[in-house]
Amino acid sequence: MIKALFILLLLCIPTQLIAQLERRLVVQDRPVELTFMAPRNINILTTEPLSRGEMHYAIMHSFGELSNGWRNFYGIDNGAVIRFSLEYGIRDKASVYIGRSGLDKVFDAGFRYALIKQMQSGSPPVNISLTGSVGLNSAEYNFLGSREFTLYDRTSYYGALLISRKFSDDLSVQLSPQLARFNRTGFEIAIPGDAQWYFGLGVSARYRITGRLALTGQYIWSENSDSESFRNNVGIGLDIETGGHVFQLFFTTTQALNDAYVLAGRNGDPLDGGFRFGFNVNRLFMLHR
Amino acid sequence: MMYRCHILALLLLIAVATPLHAQQFYGENGYAEFESRAPALTFTGVSDNLVGLIDLMERTVDFYLDLNTLDTGISLRNRHMRDSYLRTNVHPFAEFKGRFTEDSTIDPMEESTQNVRVEGEFTIHGITRQREVEGTLTFDDEGNMLVLEASFEVALDDHNISRPRVVFLELSEVQKVSIRIEMEKYND
Repeated sequence: MIKALFILLLLCIPTQLIAQLERRLVVQDRPVELTFMAPRNINILTTEPLSRGEMHYAIMHSFGELSNGWRNFYGIDNGAVIRFSLEYGIRDKASVYIGRSGLDKVFDAGFRYALIKQMQSGSPPVNISLTGSVGLNSAEYNFLGSREFTLYDRTSYYGALLISRKFSDDLSVQLSPQLARFNRTGFEIAIPGDAQWYFGLGVSARYRITGRLALTGQYIWSENSDSESFRNNVGIGLDIETGGHVFQLFFTTTQALNDAYVLAGRNGDPLDGGFRFGFNVNRLFMLHR
Repeated sequence: MMYRCHILALLLLIAVATPLHAQQFYGENGYAEFESRAPALTFTGVSDNLVGLIDLMERTVDFYLDLNTLDTGISLRNRHMRDSYLRTNVHPFAEFKGRFTEDSTIDPMEESTQNVRVEGEFTIHGITRQREVEGTLTFDDEGNMLVLEASFEVALDDHNISRPRVVFLELSEVQKVSIRIEMEKYND
């Protein structure tokens, strides 16, 4: 009898003590988020995905080289190359974009597809995305007396595998093996080489200083970097998140803003005023659910 | 004599325990919302995962929300909210634990909406503050279900959640929080 009473007591007491509910997460293992602050880190696309129905608007600028000196306000007076782009999430993992850049008046259209997401449990340990784009040079060349530029001549391609990992709250790194092809090269085009194929490896990094402020950096090793005009790209920057926009201020050695031209284009000498000031403004909208 | 005594004790225990069961209300799909009104932007974040327990006998409340479930409508903004502001990987829950104030008389058999006040501790971003929150309780006609509604304001500074002040003012210093939760009589 005493035993029974005791058991009953035990049964009653716990119910009396549920003053504190057990805290339970709705989802146990979540994806690691915000590896980078925006879909682009300085010049290189990141694995940071859009959701279905989301629209990412970016306006990017790069000014003249710092070596233009104080009279030209370190390149600001030289005017900016500007690229507008709109990227739309057709699915949670897949997005498509169009862009238009002032350099060679290139329209480009491309996609990003998230293959793998890094999870908090550590499996998988990295994010992997695939991106590709087609560019169309729309500049007028007739006045040069050049051979006519056909549609084929004006076309360029770009592809990259984006592999990123958020190592800690603060540090994220991305490797981006990439390639580009230009169907026609020559002095008329704003890339310095004659090669049609370009290969490179981009390294992007982000180091968070505070919640909304991060130092960014990039280095693009180019397989074609054997002469003076084919330097590797270097960029450093600052990302500022304001609650709705992400502002990216940076110094980079390339004038180009679309991916194929960043890989194949000319780079200034980082040790001799070859950096240019630039900035990206990123804004996201929800078009529909 | 001893035997009877035991039976009596048992009966007593049952008598005590049953009303305790009957006085607890539990809900787990409650609605929680915050609204940020800033000069440059107004937006809300919502969740349908508010969990709560009300004990009318003890006059206590315990609520928590998995902050990962808050949705502001833009996924990148959600990611920034979780990662840069709320730090949900370290502090995944917002919670409120408290006690009804003495002037809050609660009658489960009363069908009209009753005003209540709760004094307790509100925790978010790992920082706990004493709060007094006003709300309403509405019971159904049998007293088996209730709807709790409440709203209060949370100053981000109070909880060491820093916000951007440069360039644009897109996040309000004071967030208006509203909750609405249906709760049923709780049986273990």
